[in-house]
Amino acid sequence: MKKIISVAIMLALTAGLLVGCGTTTGTSGKSKVTIGIGQFAEHGSLDNCKNGFLEGLKQEGYVEGENLEVKFENAQADGAIAGQIANNFVANKVDLICAIATPMAQSAFGAAKNTDIPVIFTAVTDPVLAELAKADGTPNGNVTGTSDKLPVERQLEMIRAILPEAKTIGIMYSTSEVNSVSAIEEYKAAAPAYGFEIVESGISTTADIPLAADNLLEKVDCINNLTDNTVVSSLPLILDKAAEKNIPVFGSEVEQVKIGCLATVGLDYYDLGIQTGKMAAQVLKGEKKASEINFEVIEEASFYGNTKVAENLGITLPEDLVKGAKEMFQTISE
Amino acid sequence: MLFTIGIGVLEEGLLYAIMALGVYITYKILDFPDLSVDGTFPLGGAVTAVLIVAGVNPLLTLIISFLIGAVAGILTGLIHVKLKVRDLLSGIIMMTALYSINLRIAGKANVAIFSKETIFDNEIIRNYIPEAYQPFMTLTILLIITVIMKLLLDLYLKTKSGYLLRAVGDNATLVTSLAKDKGFVKIVGLAIANAFVALAGCIYTQKSGFFEISTGTGAIVIGLASVIIGTNIFKRVSLVKATTAVIVGSIVYKACVATAIALGMEASDLKLITAILFLGILVISNERKRRVKAND
Repeated sequence: MKKIISVAIMLALTAGLLVGCGTTTGTSGKSKVTIGIGQFAEHGSLDNCKNGFLEGLKQEGYVEGENLEVKFENAQADGAIAGQIANNFVANKVDLICAIATPMAQSAFGAAKNTDIPVIFTAVTDPVLAELAKADGTPNGNVTGTSDKLPVERQLEMIRAILPEAKTIGIMYSTSEVNSVSAIEEYKAAAPAYGFEIVESGISTTADIPLAADNLLEKVDCINNLTDNTVVSSLPLILDKAAEKNIPVFGSEVEQVKIGCLATVGLDYYDLGIQTGKMAAQVLKGEKKASEINFEVIEEASFYGNTKVAENLGITLPEDLVKGAKEMFQTISE
Repeated sequence: MLFTIGIGVLEEGLLYAIMALGVYITYKILDFPDLSVDGTFPLGGAVTAVLIVAGVNPLLTLIISFLIGAVAGILTGLIHVKLKVRDLLSGIIMMTALYSINLRIAGKANVAIFSKETIFDNEIIRNYIPEAYQPFMTLTILLIITVIMKLLLDLYLKTKSGYLLRAVGDNATLVTSLAKDKGFVKIVGLAIANAFVALAGCIYTQKSGFFEISTGTGAIVIGLASVIIGTNIFKRVSLVKATTAVIVGSIVYKACVATAIALGMEASDLKLITAILFLGILVISNERKRRVKAND
């Protein structure tokens, strides 16, 4: 019996290698480009990045299924798997790698370093700190993309406009996410100018969130979210707890407002994705090399509000904000 | 394509083999399921990233992370031996503590060293190695380090201290009857094991170009799988040293994962594949019967 199982496993492995080989040689014909999209974690903002990216490519004439083949992999927030995904794309000799979020971008950059495969990243808050770009914004190799740096000042300005009396803003973040840590620093530096004090609460896993939320909600007038992957994944829980205490939660991105944050001056990750897709198209068409394009930041953050949430909290959103809003939501989507 | 995948499998296999050698010491020799590995692997990486950013010679970081890994192993050992905490729990405690310690050491969850010199990417390699050979440099360096570490471990296991180490796992009473402190021997074993693991973390960080706090997750599973696969493949071949078997096991394990990906499995399914592979190997081996009996 044992022998049979061993033989079966051996056969399966050998077959696997052969099959793997066969399928990929078939698709490497040059009429079609093959790109690998690696996404670090699974949540609304990053999913939007990916969808926007495909839309951006489409607008430039690369349509999935026609002249574009997409290999999509999600690392589910596991660093080792992100590395494996990147290596796999490189081994399959894709024409371009799109990497969503910092650890994925770094894995892809590292894996593709000694090849001619360009890497286009998105949702990397600080490409310079991540060493994907040099201090002057020029690429640190065959790599470029878009940054999702938060418009900190404008967010604080908006919170002040909505809550004239508030003194403290609570921010929850995971200590394991470098982008969040640097965003916290920025909020802390900017807050006094708007008369706020930042109360931070660091967590290490999703399991810490309920207690951290309870603790934080005791101490603050409102909560402000970052684009922290761990916290955003558990946002519904935080929103529930905050609603019980009638404390407003501000988002950092449109998806968060949809599911129950009061408002945000944030990026639209879909737009960010489109912008990234267009950069990728430029590279695929051979107009420019990734190493010749500086990374880009979306300048225009827009206001998004949720009137249903405002009603629940008994807050009236200032009229001029609502007038200038890119989109207002009337319901809380689950 | 197969060629690139092959190189990738060998690189990853050799890299994790260094860690697997450490796991071999605890799991096979000491019979100690040491979960602190999930913390010591990124510990080596954190130390390395910080030192390299500070301008320390990358070769020197190999030695420093090895030593710091040993310190972590000693702590796990002290928790177990001196505070009388069960082996599994000692590892879990150390692993949990190391998460915060690693963040403290690195200062943040992600430290990039792309622009710095590493053992894989430096001026000597760029200037003195012919271009045609450049793609094989990483593999060559990994092979050299892995073989050196294996030989050192083989040598150590032949020393008096090495014999005692092996005796503790097999028959602790014997060690006591020789008037030796078995607790001390265990601590020595854990120190060496975790030193190997931290060294692997150091090399991993230099190879990938950045330290990331989440890379340690599941390291122990990869290590255990490598040890079990390796020792089972060569179970009936007495000529092959266990340390060699572990290295082969690590490469076979990575080959299986690469095959799974090539077969179109999603990366998010990898943990399940690992689990199934693991179970398969355990079922084939006699080991299972022995352990189940021992539990009765």
